[in-house]
Amino acid sequence: MAEKHLSHHSQSPEKNNNEDVNSMKGTMVSVGFVAAVIVVMWVAVFWLYMARV
Amino acid sequence: MAHALKEVFYEKPKQALGAHPEDARVSLSYLSIAFIALFIGGVLGLLQGLERAGLMQLPPWLNYYQVLTAHGILLVIVFTTTFTIGYQFANLSHSLGGLLPKVRKLAWTGLVLMVIGVALVTTTIVMGDASVLYTFYPPLAASPFFYIGLVFLVLGIWACCFGVFINYRHWRKNHPGEPAPLLAFFAMGVFTLWFFASLGVTVEVLTLIPWTLGWKETVNVLVARTLFWSFGHTLVNIWYLVATSAWYAIVPKIIGGKHFNEKLIRLVVILLVVLNIPGGFHHQIIDPGISLSIKFLHVFMSLSIAVPSLMTAFAMFHVFERTGRQKGGRGLLGWLKKLPWGDVRFLAPMIAMISFIPGGAGGIINGSNQLNQVIHNTMWVVGHFHITVGVSVVLTFFGICYWLVPYLSKRTLTKKMNKVGVIQTIIWTVGMAIMAGSMHIAGLLGDPRRTSYTTYKDHPDALSWIPYEYIFAAGATLLLVGVIIQVYAVFHMMFLSPKGVTEFPAAEPVADAAPAPLWTERWGLWVVLLLMVVAMAYVVPIVDMIVHAPPGSPPIRTW
Repeated sequence: MAEKHLSHHSQSPEKNNNEDVNSMKGTMVSVGFVAAVIVVMWVAVFWLYMARV
Repeated sequence: MAHALKEVFYEKPKQALGAHPEDARVSLSYLSIAFIALFIGGVLGLLQGLERAGLMQLPPWLNYYQVLTAHGILLVIVFTTTFTIGYQFANLSHSLGGLLPKVRKLAWTGLVLMVIGVALVTTTIVMGDASVLYTFYPPLAASPFFYIGLVFLVLGIWACCFGVFINYRHWRKNHPGEPAPLLAFFAMGVFTLWFFASLGVTVEVLTLIPWTLGWKETVNVLVARTLFWSFGHTLVNIWYLVATSAWYAIVPKIIGGKHFNEKLIRLVVILLVVLNIPGGFHHQIIDPGISLSIKFLHVFMSLSIAVPSLMTAFAMFHVFERTGRQKGGRGLLGWLKKLPWGDVRFLAPMIAMISFIPGGAGGIINGSNQLNQVIHNTMWVVGHFHITVGVSVVLTFFGICYWLVPYLSKRTLTKKMNKVGVIQTIIWTVGMAIMAGSMHIAGLLGDPRRTSYTTYKDHPDALSWIPYEYIFAAGATLLLVGVIIQVYAVFHMMFLSPKGVTEFPAAEPVADAAPAPLWTERWGLWVVLLLMVVAMAYVVPIVDMIVHAPPGSPPIRTW
């Protein structure tokens, strides 16, 4: 835990900044949102299909 | 520095000095026809929406199905085709250093052929001789002049296809070992797909002409429908490919960023070209006369188109995140705030991309065998079509106008016009959201498409659709306001905006990007793969439809 704490503080502000600039977390969340829309819509219409057959 | 100046003034003079006047005239002519068609088609769309909701009755000389046919042909074929050609020829002119004189001639020839075609098609519709809907497949039969008009339209498109192929080949020959510029690569993909997609519908139309002239008594309806849909759905994906060219190669520049990895972009283009044509078969999932195994093959073929679309979603989100973070955006989604939401050149295509999330998801539902039975031939399909073509494609086209038209007319985009564009985009988005949204819901409740106003003798199910149909009409009203503003904006930027230089915003790769791979330029191979996929998808079912053909149909006129 202490090691983790130290290593966090030993990173330079520049490195932190670069990491933030190169981050792809937002892309991952956005693509996840696309997947969620696809799944929710598909399941909803499939549910309608099952209810009607 | 000296080298850079030499490159700009000696090797890329047309890029330095703006659009070549003769090339600009070609593109502006196509764009003018596009927006005249949009205006007429938009007015007809509102009439149709009001009639469909029972809020007005069309005069006896104007049939609902006449309006529906004209609305579809003018917007789905004429507007999109002429816009695409105007835009793609501007892209070619800019990125390949100008159009060749013979290519310019082909472009003008194409325009003349298309004008003749549109005149014949619209005249027959106005005369009440062609209320056969945008899909125009048998057994509904129009006047032979309607189909002859379509032949002229196809010939016009082919003239432009050959123009693009010639210009591209010429550039490649003079730049050995170099991959073509990205926008030219997109143009090559668009016109290759267009040429091969149009072959099936050409065979269909050439079959229908002798049938409507009475030289042939019957026609095989199933074969005709199959040939139509090999084109009909691909056409939508051609517009989508045109829109993605702006998403990948223009939008990154507008937001102050760089485009995504060129290898992935080119792979997306190749996949869309190779996989697309069989996708149309999912329109026939409910058709009798096609075996279940063939239908399942086509479900797979249709859904395969989703792969390049998902690659595009990933790539574009990454471009937005990277650019937003470089501008100081922090946190999980803070980069979104750094994007230029007030710039119509970004706002319109961005909303177009966002709308492709539910639009694409709807497409996956349409292409799934069982789910298609819930939505087949309902208003859901109309809603899907409006959210994909009407927003994802058309709003991208609108956004393109705000830099393309000033660039071509050597004028500038003023702050005031940008504001007009932002307002237009909001009106269009709200109008389309409520119209297409209510169409989706009404479709799930069973409201049929391609049907004039009726309550089916006050059946409770039919009465439950009416509130949604009122919302269609409200949305259609807003959309006509959007059309009027857009047409005003385009012609204002063409003739009245202040003179000046507008940049062609072609995005560049990141500084350390690898060069575009040369293997992507093997167009002969992509065409062979395309033909193999088409053969795999169509040879067995079409032979089966011909060998085991049911009795053919005579021409039928229901109006």
